[in-house]
Order: sequence, then C-alpha cells, then structure tokens
Amino acid sequence: MNKEIAIRIENLSKEYVKGVKVLDNISFDIMKGDIVGYLGPNGSGKTTTIKILTNLLTPTSGKAFINGIDATKNPKKALCSVGALIEVPGIYDYLTPNDLLAYFGKIRGMDKKKIGEIISEVLTKVKLQDWQYKKIGSFSTGMQRRLAIANSILHEPEILILDEPVIGLDPKGIKDIRDMIKQFQKDGITTLLSSHLMHEVSATCDKVIFLDGSKILDYATVDEIKSRMVAKSITIRFIDTVTPELLAQINAMEQVSNIDRKNGDVIIGFDGRDETSHNILAQLMKQGNKIASFAPEEANLEDFYVSVMSDEKGVSS
Amino acid sequence: MSFKDDFCTDINHVYLNTLFELKKHWKKNRIILVSLLAIALPLLFYAIPPLLGSDYSDTANGFASSNLAFITLMIIISAAMFTGDSISSEFENRTGLMLFPTPQRQNSIFVGKYIASLLATWLAVMLYYLVTLIAIGQIYGFDQVSMEFGQSFFLALLYSASAVSLIYFFSSVMKRSITSTLIGFFALMMILPIVSLVLTLGDVDPWFIITHSADLITDVLGASTTSFGSASHGGPMSGLADFSPDFYVGIEVMTAYAIGFFVAGLGIANRKKMEG
Repeated sequence: MNKEIAIRIENLSKEYVKGVKVLDNISFDIMKGDIVGYLGPNGSGKTTTIKILTNLLTPTSGKAFINGIDATKNPKKALCSVGALIEVPGIYDYLTPNDLLAYFGKIRGMDKKKIGEIISEVLTKVKLQDWQYKKIGSFSTGMQRRLAIANSILHEPEILILDEPVIGLDPKGIKDIRDMIKQFQKDGITTLLSSHLMHEVSATCDKVIFLDGSKILDYATVDEIKSRMVAKSITIRFIDTVTPELLAQINAMEQVSNIDRKNGDVIIGFDGRDETSHNILAQLMKQGNKIASFAPEEANLEDFYVSVMSDEKGVSS
Repeated sequence: MSFKDDFCTDINHVYLNTLFELKKHWKKNRIILVSLLAIALPLLFYAIPPLLGSDYSDTANGFASSNLAFITLMIIISAAMFTGDSISSEFENRTGLMLFPTPQRQNSIFVGKYIASLLATWLAVMLYYLVTLIAIGQIYGFDQVSMEFGQSFFLALLYSASAVSLIYFFSSVMKRSITSTLIGFFALMMILPIVSLVLTLGDVDPWFIITHSADLITDVLGASTTSFGSASHGGPMSGLADFSPDFYVGIEVMTAYAIGFFVAGLGIANRKKMEG
C-alpha cells in the first residue's frame, strides 16, 4: 500500500438489515495532509463509513485501512494515530475535563508527566481553559462539543476524523472550529470531515467526496468542481432608477432567459457562456444605460450539491 | 509491537479502565452510599439488643449468623448498583462514541469495568464483615472468632462475584441501564429464590440455583438463620424437604455462575456495536 495514503476504503458495504445497503461497495483513498469533506444528505452512509473506520461497526464486506493497517481487524493499532469525533457523543457528566482527558491521554500511552501540561494547552485551544476542573455536567452543548474536539486532538493525531463537528455550535463556535480545522491542515494533520452542510465543507476542505444513495457520486477538489460549474445568472446594478421600460428592454433581448429583481438589482438568467455575457453588457451600454456593476454569479458548490444529490434517502436495494 | 508489549499495554488498559470505572462509582457517591449501608447494617445488630434490653447470642457464631442475615441483601444491592449500568450505559448514553474509538481492545474496557464492579462490591462485603468482626471482638473477645467466620467471608466474596457476573451479563444484553439493574436485582432478590422455593415444593433439590448456594454464607456458621431473600427451610415452610446446600457443591455453583456469566457477558459486550 502506498505510504502516502492515510485512509483507504476498499469495496466497503454495510447492511443493517439484510438486502438493504447503507453502503454499497464504496472505495476511496485519502492522502496524507488532505482535508477532505465527506458530503451527503442524512442517511447517505457517512456516519456508517466513519463508524466502520473507528471500530464502532463491522462492515458487511470490504476493508477500511488507516495508515495501511486494517481498522476492522486491528483497531488497537490502527487507531493509535487517529483522533475521532463521532456524531454527538455522550459526556461523562460526573467528571471534569481534566479527569476525562487524563484518562484518554493515558489510554493513548501519553507521557504521564506531560499529560497535565498538554491538557491545559488543548483546553486553551478550544477555549475551555477556565473550566479544566469544573464538572462537565454543567457545560453547555457547545462546550461539550469543544471538549469532545479537545479529546480528539489531545494526542496530536496524524489523522482526524470529524463527524458533523459543528452540530450544536453557535456561529462563533462554528467559526472557531473552522479556523481550528484550517490550522490542522497547516500542522499536516489529515482530516476527514463528514457533513451534510455544503457551506461547512466548502469553507474548510480542499477535496470533497459526494455520497448519496449508498454510493460515491463524485470525489474531486473543490476547485475542480467549481471549474465544472457554470454560472447562469448575472446581477446588474444601475446608477439610474430601474424603470418598467428598462426591464422590458432587457427582457426583449433574445439572450436573456428570465429576469428578476432583488434589493434594487436586476438579476437576469442566461446560458452561462462568457460571449453571451459580453453581448448582453454591450447591448445595455449601447442603449445608454449607466451601469454601476455587472456581476456574473460566482460558481456555487451548493448548486452542484443539489444537482448531484437525489432527494431520496441514500438507500438502495 | 511484540506480543509481550501488546500484552503489557492490554494489562495497563485494564488497570486504567478499572480506575476509570471506580472513579465513576466514587463521583456518583455510590461507594460512599454502599459503604455507609455496609457499616450501618451490622452496627444495628450490635446496637439494638442492649437498647431493647435483650441479650446477644450465646456464641460468637450465633451472633455472626444473625448479624449476617442481611449480607446477601447487601451484596445484591451493591452488585446491582455497581454493575447494572457498567456496559449498557456506554451504549445508552452514547459515551461509547468517545470511549470505543481509542487504541485499546474492547475486552480491556469491559474486563476493567467488571473488575471495578467486583472490587466495589467486595469493599462493601469487607466493611460488613469488618464491623461484624469488631462487634464479635467487643462482645466475645477476638479469640472467639472462628474458622467458620472466615469460611463465611470467603463464601460471601464468592457469592459477590457470581452476583456481579449475573448482573454484568444483563448489562451486556440490555439496552437500558435501569432495565439491567432492576432485572439483575429482582433476579437475585425474588425470581431465583421463588424458583428455588417452587423446586423445593416439588421435592427437587435446587442445588444449581445461586441464591440457594448463598445460604451457605450463614449456614457454615452452624446457626439456623437463613439469609435474606432465601427460600429455604424454616418458618411457615417447615413442612418442606430440607435441601441445605452442600458446601463444595455450593462453591462450585457460585464459581460456575461467576465464570460463566462473566464470559458470556464479555462475549456479548464485545459483539455489541454502536448502531443507530
């Protein structure tokens, strides 16, 4: 197996009920240092894949490797280099963060003398430094989530597996987590980030795996996907007031497929070609309109997501 | 990693998991509660007779026998409290999502939990016997402490192991902690004694029922008192056949329950997965 591969999923299938496949023979590799988004609607099999990788489930068939070690056969060794945050784990509410992290640190074989110091550092990273000796039972959902993240990064793992890490967090908390994930990339930590939120993945990841209907639909860099997508609308802002006559003029252009208004701007639909965009602009100028801005819409991963995902829950027979 | 290193880390993980589970019992005040009960129950038998103006038993063994009437109840309460949620809670509370994706065998986790439950229950038994021992020393003198008292202590420890194993098994089978705790508690308190009684009524020796074997804890002291929760001879049932448990058979039955249900519980726990 190639040394540069951090995670390899090989012909993985999972059936909870016989004949109903939640994962249907999926395969993919994640290279070391990559931050990969694992994207799909609820029920598409994202968490199932991650649970198999982390020994929480056994596959019906196929294999899951971490650093070349089969995680389904030798999880003790495979999970040495992994930090994982899966779904919304329960928290040992009778413990303090210090108790909890000290236990997990020792289980991971960390130096007992340094654990206290590292716990303080990690809790500072997730902004829980003032709560080190307070009972977890008194923590808010967001704080519990940050503590779970602290646990996953405690031992400076080579690979991070995060399943819906921003669930239950407020906007500030979400931003903190995104910044943290970006920092992980700088630190060279391979990250697999599972989410059903397109914007979360596009904000943090450089590659995306689309999963739906228990199968992999696409696996590409965010830039590749964006380059495949064509913007099909233009937002125009006029200096003068937009009159019904002007709208009629625009609507009369044969290149314009539809017309809409939003916050004083005019949004027109077209075929997405640069040449058409140029022609529309030229005509508007020729008609003597004063244009403040003329902006073809940015390529949007959200549209791609909607276009590739089926509406049905990802289960095939 | 060599086999030796692998084995050593497994042992270390079992040790860490035992401490982690004991910490749970401590932080949830279970150890304090059960310890207080284990001290209070035998103290009552020491304090009440003088208050009521009655005499203690003539012999140290007789005193010990009545003093230990509640030892099986104490064991059942302790075992249910310390073991009922040991496995099921990790699945029910979803703490397993944090605990299981770690570089350790699930065996290490579940063996550690079993040992912690056993140690906590043994602590209660030891405190109960310690208070009884001190009371015997105060009333009769320590030279009156008999070999039978030691045998009774050994049998109580063995019964604790079998009770913990049985409830541990329920904890691995059941999804909810409250269910495993209650089923375990009532199995030892009511269901098995009732089965034992029904068998006795049918003139069948219930030698294979663990609560029947538990009667040995007081029977070895040579007094007529039967343990709490027992369905054996005496009282309104005096017309029944007398199936007193045999000492060695009782030990074998308790050992079989302790090992059998522990192994079965461990096997089921290892096969359990975090689905849903």
